[in-house]
Amino acid sequence: MLSRPTACRGAQRAARQHVLRQSHQRRGLAAPASGSFQYEAGEAKGVKYASRDFAGPTTTLALVAKAGTRFQPLPGLTEGLANFAFRSTERRSTLRIVRESELLGASLNAYHSRENLVLEAKFLRDDLPYFVELLGEVASKTKYQPFVYNEEVLPLINFAHKRFLGSVTEMATNSAHALAFHRGLGVPTASASQTPFTKYLDAEAIEWYSKVAYAKPNFAVVANGADAGEFGKWVNEFFDDVPASASEQSAGKDQTKYVGGEERIAHDGGNAMVIAFPGSSSFTGKFYKPEIAVLASLLGGQAAVKWSAGFTILANAAAPGTKVKTTSAIYSDAGLLYTTITGSAKGVAETAKAAVDAIKKIASGEISSELISKAKATAKFKELEHGQDARAGLELTGNGLIHNTQPYQIDEVAKLIDGVSEESLKSAAKQLLENRASVSSVGDLFVLPYAEEIGLKV
Amino acid sequence: MSAPSLAPFINKRPWLLRWMKPLANWYTNAAGYRKLGLRADDLLPEENNVVQTALKRLQPQEAYNRVFRLRRAMQLSMTHQLLPKEEWTKPEEDTPYLSELITDIETEMAEREDLEAMVISKRQRNANASSGH
Repeated sequence: MLSRPTACRGAQRAARQHVLRQSHQRRGLAAPASGSFQYEAGEAKGVKYASRDFAGPTTTLALVAKAGTRFQPLPGLTEGLANFAFRSTERRSTLRIVRESELLGASLNAYHSRENLVLEAKFLRDDLPYFVELLGEVASKTKYQPFVYNEEVLPLINFAHKRFLGSVTEMATNSAHALAFHRGLGVPTASASQTPFTKYLDAEAIEWYSKVAYAKPNFAVVANGADAGEFGKWVNEFFDDVPASASEQSAGKDQTKYVGGEERIAHDGGNAMVIAFPGSSSFTGKFYKPEIAVLASLLGGQAAVKWSAGFTILANAAAPGTKVKTTSAIYSDAGLLYTTITGSAKGVAETAKAAVDAIKKIASGEISSELISKAKATAKFKELEHGQDARAGLELTGNGLIHNTQPYQIDEVAKLIDGVSEESLKSAAKQLLENRASVSSVGDLFVLPYAEEIGLKV
Repeated sequence: MSAPSLAPFINKRPWLLRWMKPLANWYTNAAGYRKLGLRADDLLPEENNVVQTALKRLQPQEAYNRVFRLRRAMQLSMTHQLLPKEEWTKPEEDTPYLSELITDIETEMAEREDLEAMVISKRQRNANASSGH
């Protein structure tokens, strides 16, 4: 039997050894060696698909269409199409789709981001053929009936519009995107006014757009937890009726250009400020810069561990009661690195100043290398976790397939983040300050500062 | 509401259709609604959920025309007059614009009823497997 002091000594020794080992031999962060992260891509009768055989009893299946708000030729079409998903098709009614999916224990979801429209189904592994068929049916045989639009789709679009107007954070984020990219990526994700659905939107227009969005070159089917061979077979079988090609669309096709500027919106529902800089495109795009991801986690703002503000610069610099978050939003051909600050008007103003100071500090190299290595580890973890999260991985992979015919390979991204040097981080921060920033303030404009006052160029 | 009808039975048999057609035409003219500018579907009783839903689903222009026809017919009836002959509803205009919607709605409702009364049985493959999940 061990006496208590002995056990303690043992523990101490172990701890000491651990520290020693760490000091001279840095433990390599778990490299995702397993092949399960890799997507196997293929093409069946012109339909691009990718899958990874993730061990487990469930499957997540998604149809990712290049029909996000960026690519909509008329405002509101993307939202309309997303809300028309899984409604009556020529073969079965809305009710039947709902009841059948419920019986199989599945969950269906349709949502859109700036670049993609995603129809998603999660279900038990055995039911793969049923859901591949369902997605094929939704893409090619949905009935776009005017009364369904009036009774079911329009109210949902209206709710999204109201929610958008009520949320200062969402308004500020969308306004910053609009400043940064103008058209294309700058188009807001929800209707900012009622004009889209009073002026442009009706069932007929949505039907026309569905023929473009669900044309073979414009979408990809991605599965997580399905055998590639089997999945390919079903894709081959069930996507016969989608149009083989779509009429050429000019909306959102051009290479995104960064512009920048400042917008101030008065709002009595809270205070939000978004400070945005040109960022990195997705790994599958041409302008991938891993140092932006590290910069984002260095600025940070939200603690990853309990009972601590965390190591990030902004978390420590933020005024009490203010919420700060730095995001590196990546799109297929551009990106936006932005800090969102919400809270009381005074706190937001203070924190905005601190955010700019923090970037200046990074640019002048006043950040300890310990902090930078922490940021690198966080960025890598976030990236890998993001890849493991079925939902994000599916969308990114689908996006990569549509734009560059290359799936999102998470392992390589992690390697690139490992290779970021302090010097490249410094120069990236310097570049941010040299460029025009996009600053959007929503809320109490009497207190919220102008970009110039906090030391930014707009 | 769609009433029971012999029409599909007759339509399937050309010889019977040839017999019945003149009779049917005579009956429709004799019913007189066309002389008031109405269509057959304007006469359907609308005090029930199915027809109310169908009326909501009409295109705005169609709904307007329907109200116009009904009001004109009401006016004519009160003044004990008929429309001038060239304004009578022509047979080709007398389309079942509402009945189609009503059939759709009835199918929808029947489907809901069917699904409510459904008996669920497990697939053999899954039933045999031990309940893994």
